[in-house]
Amino acid sequence: MDITICIGSSCHLKGSREIVSELQRLLKEHNLQDQVELNGSFCMGQCVKGVCTKIDGKLFSLSPEDTQTFFENEVLRRLNG
Amino acid sequence: MSVNVDISYKSLNKHEEELCGDKVELLKTADSDIIILADGMGSGVKANILATLTSKILGTMLINGASLEDCVETIILTLPVCKIRQVAYSTFSILQIYHSGEAYLVEFDNPGCIFIREGKLIQIPFEERVIHDKKIREYRCNVNIGDYFLLMSDGVVHAGVGKLLNFGWSWEHVAEYAVNATKTCTTADRLVTALSDACDELYMQSPGDDATVAVAKVTVKKVVALLTGPPVNPEDDQRMIEEFMEQEGKKVVCGGTTANIISRELQRGITTSLEYLDPNVPPIAHIAGIDLVTEGVLTLTKTLHLLQKYANNEVDEDFFIQLDQKNGAAMVAKIIIEECSDLYLYVGRAINVAHQNPELPFDLSIRMNLVHQIETVVKKMGKQITIKYY
Repeated sequence: MDITICIGSSCHLKGSREIVSELQRLLKEHNLQDQVELNGSFCMGQCVKGVCTKIDGKLFSLSPEDTQTFFENEVLRRLNG
Repeated sequence: MSVNVDISYKSLNKHEEELCGDKVELLKTADSDIIILADGMGSGVKANILATLTSKILGTMLINGASLEDCVETIILTLPVCKIRQVAYSTFSILQIYHSGEAYLVEFDNPGCIFIREGKLIQIPFEERVIHDKKIREYRCNVNIGDYFLLMSDGVVHAGVGKLLNFGWSWEHVAEYAVNATKTCTTADRLVTALSDACDELYMQSPGDDATVAVAKVTVKKVVALLTGPPVNPEDDQRMIEEFMEQEGKKVVCGGTTANIISRELQRGITTSLEYLDPNVPPIAHIAGIDLVTEGVLTLTKTLHLLQKYANNEVDEDFFIQLDQKNGAAMVAKIIIEECSDLYLYVGRAINVAHQNPELPFDLSIRMNLVHQIETVVKKMGKQITIKYY
């Protein structure tokens, strides 16, 4: 699974760095580093909504506070699904 | 040969003096760079006035084609005479390096210029002339890329006298220190900083005299092209990228959307790192054939701060530690400061709608303002800058 996080100006200010480190932590905690690859990307064009994050091409808008829920609902569900 | 000259200087004021009695004047003519270092007699206000007058008179007259005899005569007749010593006096060195590779050096009573080529101290032959009872030395030589010329006031060779060192630092030891320092200091600034800091330490942070070091390093002309911002009209994307890619020299792209455009136009992939080397600067990216790809406004804001510090002479060891960081902002600043004599900016003026967001903790709609400030600061550093808008 590929997760791509926007690190462009706007998303940076909305917390991409926190989201990246939170996801890195969660992946390590669940021992999923081999199954999930984290990538960065510049602007994905949806800056107004939140930090743009894609799982295998599907777009989500995140904030640092949502990261845990996003991980459980989207990442884990897909992997276990 | 077309050469460029990388120049830097630094003065330490005599202990408890607000003004420096040494003065460095930098001038550019159409075909040369000139450095004048004058050291006024005494210290404080009086010395400062003598040194300032001397360097300004020399600079103005030389640039208008006056002969050395005329310059010296004018200085002697113009300088205010010291009431105590009954003389008007300021020593000086003038170094002129032509873009053709010829160099001309004149010295009057300053410590001799330290000339370093290929890591060795070299003597340049000189002729001595007497103008109005003043012994003046004239040197002529051809420069090579990588040559260093180091001018200084006598406060440097006397550093530490009577305290740490019986007879001061001495010309020979300054020269030896400078030769060694060129092994690690690859730019004029770094060499000036190393010498000035060493001098300050020998004086135990309380200089007994004004001490000034000026360094000219002969370098090749170095072009950097920097692209930032998408064009107002997307139809111009292709033209902007083509013109940017055709420019010789190092290529830097600052801007996420801009990077996406160039990746699309050149059909080259873009890979973005997730490594945050500085929490406040977004990570850099890579595109084949581009030397550096970074985020735009946040990165350039930090870059501008570094450039301003540098241009305002707020340079110390700590500054270089910041400059050597591997975050995007420091990398852009380092390229502009150390690897560039001619900067070409390709600036797109589109306004990013997402940046017009009052909820963001930082005003991102400041690209044009940043570009103007970068222009001012780069000019102040004595570099050529050309801007093209889209």
